[in-house]
Amino acid sequence: MRILRQIRPILSALRSHKTAVTLLMLEIALTMAVLGNLVFIVYGTMQRSHMATGVAESQIGWIQSIGVLGQDNPGTGAENIAVLRNAPGVLDAAYGSPPFVGKETNPIFPDAARSRPVAHAYVVQGSQHMSTTLGLRIVQGRDFNDGDLPDLMDVFMKKTDTPLPALMTQALAQRLYPDGKALERILYDGRYAYRVIGIIDHLRSEVTGRANDDDALLTEYRIGAQDLGGGYLIRSRPGQLPQALKAAAAALQKANPGHVENKVHTMAELRENYFKSDLAAGRMLVAIIAILLVVTALGVSGLASFWVQQRRRQIGMRRALGATRGDILNYFQAENFLIVSGGVLLGVFFAYALNLFLMHRFELAHLPAHYLLAGALALWLLGQLAVLGPALRAAAVPPAVATRSV
Amino acid sequence: MFGYYLDLAWRSLRRTPVLTALMVIAIGLGIGASMTMLTVLHVMTDDPLPGRSAHLYTPRIDPLPLAYKQGDDSPDPADNLTWPDAMALLKAHRATRQAAMAGGSLMVRPARAGLQPFNANGRYATADFFAMFGVPFEQGQGWSAADDEARAHVVVLGSALARKLFGDAGGLGRTVRLEDNDYRVVGIAGDWAPKPMFYADATGSQYSDDDQFFLPLSVAVDLDLSVNGNNSGWGRDEANSKTNASTSWLQFWMQLDTPAQVAAYRQFLVDYSAQQKALGRFERPPTNARLYSLMGWLAHENLVPNDVRLQLWLALGFLLVCMVNIVALLLAKFLRRSGEISVRRALGAQRRDIFLQLGVESAVIGVAGGVLGLAIAQLGLWSVRQRPDDYAQLAQMDVPMLLGTFVLAIVASVLAGLLPALRVCRVAPALQLKAL
Repeated sequence: MRILRQIRPILSALRSHKTAVTLLMLEIALTMAVLGNLVFIVYGTMQRSHMATGVAESQIGWIQSIGVLGQDNPGTGAENIAVLRNAPGVLDAAYGSPPFVGKETNPIFPDAARSRPVAHAYVVQGSQHMSTTLGLRIVQGRDFNDGDLPDLMDVFMKKTDTPLPALMTQALAQRLYPDGKALERILYDGRYAYRVIGIIDHLRSEVTGRANDDDALLTEYRIGAQDLGGGYLIRSRPGQLPQALKAAAAALQKANPGHVENKVHTMAELRENYFKSDLAAGRMLVAIIAILLVVTALGVSGLASFWVQQRRRQIGMRRALGATRGDILNYFQAENFLIVSGGVLLGVFFAYALNLFLMHRFELAHLPAHYLLAGALALWLLGQLAVLGPALRAAAVPPAVATRSV
Repeated sequence: MFGYYLDLAWRSLRRTPVLTALMVIAIGLGIGASMTMLTVLHVMTDDPLPGRSAHLYTPRIDPLPLAYKQGDDSPDPADNLTWPDAMALLKAHRATRQAAMAGGSLMVRPARAGLQPFNANGRYATADFFAMFGVPFEQGQGWSAADDEARAHVVVLGSALARKLFGDAGGLGRTVRLEDNDYRVVGIAGDWAPKPMFYADATGSQYSDDDQFFLPLSVAVDLDLSVNGNNSGWGRDEANSKTNASTSWLQFWMQLDTPAQVAAYRQFLVDYSAQQKALGRFERPPTNARLYSLMGWLAHENLVPNDVRLQLWLALGFLLVCMVNIVALLLAKFLRRSGEISVRRALGAQRRDIFLQLGVESAVIGVAGGVLGLAIAQLGLWSVRQRPDDYAQLAQMDVPMLLGTFVLAIVASVLAGLLPALRVCRVAPALQLKAL
């Protein structure tokens, strides 16, 4: 109640400092707008960098084994898979590339005329064992069986017009077939036709934050006696990836003396690489957030000091008339709270305006309301901390000041 | 008078060291963050070929079928030319100089013992490339149009590759083996790497790549050498993908010296498209044909990634917060001196004088903030250089940006001082004097 009774004099005191109060509120509002959007962006990046791709990441390694021109190589694709599967610690292996490696979306069409795409999805191709090597979870339908798989050469040379069997992610299935009957449906990309044989829970080829990250089709083909350069995948026993990948890479190199292994990476390394740039930019934004808070706090505190100094005599009078130190402290704290509250109200508009601008120009998502709430709380706290020093100094003003130089 | 104001400003700032430091830090941080991002944007949109860029142009003609639909994330095939179109423009010879080109990556097989084969990026081009772009030569020169015609196996090496293959001796006249063919070295180019690499296909890393060798385009077509970048086909003919009329993969640049030449070429492109449409090859309106200047083309390609622009906006927002902060602090500072100012007014100083005096004081804060901002911007640019992005290494401040830092700092602080100064000028001297 005491504080409530104090509000009226505070407001009338502030009325004679309109410019300064407006400026302070403006600063709080702008800080809130920039802060809210910055935190939103940085948090989004951090969240993205941890988003699961749907494959058994901790167990997957990737070996890029490329043929050197003019060198004969005895290894064949089928043998290579067998060699990898026999390496110690390896559960499964396939020819293909994991998420984060050279992925692009393809337009997906409902009919062979291919006139209007209904989705843009990642089409992942790999050899036999691809889905089991990636450790995909089938939630409906079935996985590939050996009889399904078309021959690699038939696929690459497009000698076959029969639809390729494919697994589809749940997200894409729900988008294309809201009736829930995705199995056995036929669909097309620019080059092939696909028949859906099973639904997998997730397969994110990239984590861009766009809505179609989890839209994917996975097909397998059979590789045999071809000398295949490119990426090979292994899945290790849990917890044995580093040793297993090393052993697998060595075994693959031995079987393919005409190849060079340019890149041997675990999924964790691929993920780190993929997000490196985003996270570096994120760190810079975090630095800006910290500085922004410091600058605002210093501004609030600087202006409060000025006010305290300006009102020394009035403070002295109040003390002489019986106000306690606590009353003076409360006064400045309440004043700060009122100003910050005004700034926060204005800040909600500013934050949404900035968010709308960023959404319009940079495809950013809508700023959720709880960021604003958190921003408001942070600024209230910041304001109280910033005003504490000057307010304590005000409380220390002795009543005797009132009697001087009146 | 200015000297006197400077002196007054100095005294005033020294009287309140904490407040002054706060303001200098605030402006320094705001300027530092903004200049970091402005510098990144500046180096990314800078003129890659100063002096020559004003006369360089690239055509864009639209050979795509009416029904062709471009994917959301895929590059526009019409940004490149097909072989027949590029050859038609080349043979028409309407510009002072013109060249068709494409990028490629080839395996270099060194003759020197102890050096493993490695891949190198380079360019396939026609003869005018070197004279048109002003490529400097350490030794020898580019090849001739006759070499183009004869599909001569000649190569121009970049200086780094030449040194790697032949040591400091150069290697002019020696032979280099690229993939499965031998080429005679006719020239060694000096340091020449425009950033961005405007003449390359937009899908590559134009800020970090450079060309290590140059081969005649006719040879690349003849031997079907591999081509980098956006290589899009839209036709049904599966014949030679390089020379057919429905695969675009070539870039084309020309030098046009006068506005009349530019206008004439623009018309020529429309006429050419109309003619191709009449022949039934093009389906889209001939007025789709464009002629871009070099800087116009870079704007069209929009090379600056969105996250850089986003960070620039956020940095500018941060500067705005800092400025509002300084406005508030300056207001406090100036109002505190109402008494002193009233004395000056009473002694005959006009409002204008007071305004100027306070303006000088704001500017002094701006200069100090500029120095701090410069240091912070260098730190920021250092952190940008640690990023893995392809433009990272370019993030260096040049002289214009250095001066720009101070200009921005002073403008920002004077702007911030404007409102407080106006407010203080309105103070009635009589009232204040009474209170003294």
